[in-house]
Amino acid sequence: MIAILAVAGVTVGTLGLGALGIRLARTTSDLLVASRAVTPWWNAAAISGEYLSAASFLGIAGLEMQNGTTALWQSLGFTAGYLALLLFVAAPLRRFGSYTIPDFAEARLRSPRLRGLASFGVLLIAGFYLVPQLKGAGITLGVVTNAPYFVGVLAVGLVVAINVALGGMRGITYVQAFQFWLKVFAIAVPACLLLIHLGGLPARAALFGDRLPSAGPHGLVVHLGAPQPVTFPAATPYAITPVHGGAPHQFRAAAGAQVTLPAGLLRLPAGAPVPVANGTQALRGSEWATPVGGSGERSPIFVYSLLIATFLGTMGLPHILVRFYTNPDGPAARRTTVRVLGLLGVFYLFPGVYGALGRALTPQLYITGSTDTVVLRLPQAAWPGTVGNVLGAVTAAGAFAAFLSTSSGLLVSISGTISHDVWPRLARESANTSAIRRRRFRIAAALGMVAPIIVAFFAQGIDIGLLVGWAFALAASTFCPLFLLGIWWPGLTARGAAVGMVAGGVVATAGIIVGLALSEPNGIAGALLAQPALVSVPIAFLAMIAVSLRSSGGFAPDAEMLALHAPEGLDLPDLGVRDPFVLGPRWAD
Amino acid sequence: MALGPPADSRTPRDELADTTAHGALYLRRLRLRQLTLSILALVAFGALVGVLPLAIDLLPQLRRIHLLGVPVAIWLVIVPASPVFLALAVLYARRADTLDEDFRELVRRR
Repeated sequence: MIAILAVAGVTVGTLGLGALGIRLARTTSDLLVASRAVTPWWNAAAISGEYLSAASFLGIAGLEMQNGTTALWQSLGFTAGYLALLLFVAAPLRRFGSYTIPDFAEARLRSPRLRGLASFGVLLIAGFYLVPQLKGAGITLGVVTNAPYFVGVLAVGLVVAINVALGGMRGITYVQAFQFWLKVFAIAVPACLLLIHLGGLPARAALFGDRLPSAGPHGLVVHLGAPQPVTFPAATPYAITPVHGGAPHQFRAAAGAQVTLPAGLLRLPAGAPVPVANGTQALRGSEWATPVGGSGERSPIFVYSLLIATFLGTMGLPHILVRFYTNPDGPAARRTTVRVLGLLGVFYLFPGVYGALGRALTPQLYITGSTDTVVLRLPQAAWPGTVGNVLGAVTAAGAFAAFLSTSSGLLVSISGTISHDVWPRLARESANTSAIRRRRFRIAAALGMVAPIIVAFFAQGIDIGLLVGWAFALAASTFCPLFLLGIWWPGLTARGAAVGMVAGGVVATAGIIVGLALSEPNGIAGALLAQPALVSVPIAFLAMIAVSLRSSGGFAPDAEMLALHAPEGLDLPDLGVRDPFVLGPRWAD
Repeated sequence: MALGPPADSRTPRDELADTTAHGALYLRRLRLRQLTLSILALVAFGALVGVLPLAIDLLPQLRRIHLLGVPVAIWLVIVPASPVFLALAVLYARRADTLDEDFRELVRRR
């Protein structure tokens, strides 16, 4: 009940602050970049708020509980991405004055066709990143209210579409700054209380010793709503009371037995190792606690590939870049990014606590295979009663803030791309051009949510981490080389950029699809198929460089380099690289 | 160009503004300096944080030694990276702003 109120409160607060934004959003440039009047602290909190998604709030802890502490590299990589952004992209791109990735591609390389390719990439990456957010919303509302999966998906989808269509970015800058602090509070307070209240980490043997995750001292009772295929890692007795009542049936499972448990009430005796859902591996404490070492998704190759994907992929996420244009100039963009690194560093201290304690306190999630919900379920498990309910409500509210803010940012990118790249241009300037553009943006916001909602309905069984990992690998293999070479190397040509982006994107996608098709690939090949960035990123760079050296850009990009790198305050005349809001022909079309 | 100021009174800023070969040279120097700085910071990042997975993989004692009940290897993944990021970021941003400032001085002088 408290949890429902908390989730409703976050949602209403989002709509309310969004509505406040509506009154401020007058011009199209207000809608899209908040008129560049946002200070570094507000901007940094908003960027962080937009960035901390379902993957950060639920996914890291869930994956940690399931796969072990290898998952914690994700949080390091997610932060490191902003260092790459700061070092190579933030200031030059802000000076250049393009507002979206397609704007940059076209303006830097003077190629409208490249713009089309970049728009396709934006829609693909943003769309695929949106699906896991909606999925997270579906399972969270399910935990809080027992509502069916589709209710949460639809609720968050609608709230975000309405908010973006009406408030645009001016509205959501403040909403997202607010949501950042809400998320830090929601993850940090229960985590600290868990550590203090439990006197450090309990059940150390299960965590770091040689034990398997096991039922507590009073045994374990789990309600199974549907038949559940599981594997027993060790021999153990168990009892099942059928759904319709009657006497419990006693069973005894041998070690390694694969059983489909019928729906009903499962009882395990005290200390019994819990069976694990298919697709999960039962890990001993020492194995679970090893951040790197071994094969497959524990191998150094996989860890480095993941770090490359997150380090280089962050700059290529469409919803992140957009926000840098709300900085007034290049140095402000640098200052904002430094603050973002500080803010994210604070947040990522906490998710690991949930994954670790979840292993000790909520082992039933291994049976149902729903480790993604550990952040939501852990407070009730640690403190049955009011305290647990209140803290559970807090984490649920934080999770909802995560879905709402990331989805809003993604939808702004999607609708911006649809409304001025996909939609046919206006024939000529007229008195109501800006009104038409605003209306298009709003219609695009509504339309842009339809496809992700439909995909999310079918994606219930797909891991949040998989979709997110793919989005990062794709961004790192396409837009990252486009930015790094486009900004720092005058020799990049449109043809080179196009070939490199296609090559990187195809290799990354193929790797993941083949990995899925082979189900449990092992060794180095398996690690690279699960996270192909270590291969696909160099291929994209090499293809871009090789093809650029063999083709001619047809112009010397002196003006473009000047716009990217010349410091502010030199009173340089406009050299043909346009600020889309002031001068740009695209924007003013 | 014929109506412009005589060649001897032109500042580097004018060369930049007219995107002359001279101006491009000035800008190239700034671009390469900024790039060198960024790559230096990247190397520092690689040396401090990028070696962590390899170090933990090669030094199993990091997994055996416990600090406050938690293996040191886990602490290494969670805690030290953020302060390192922040320190690198602050140092980099300050130096990059200085390079920009030096460039402004350079091209403004008569």
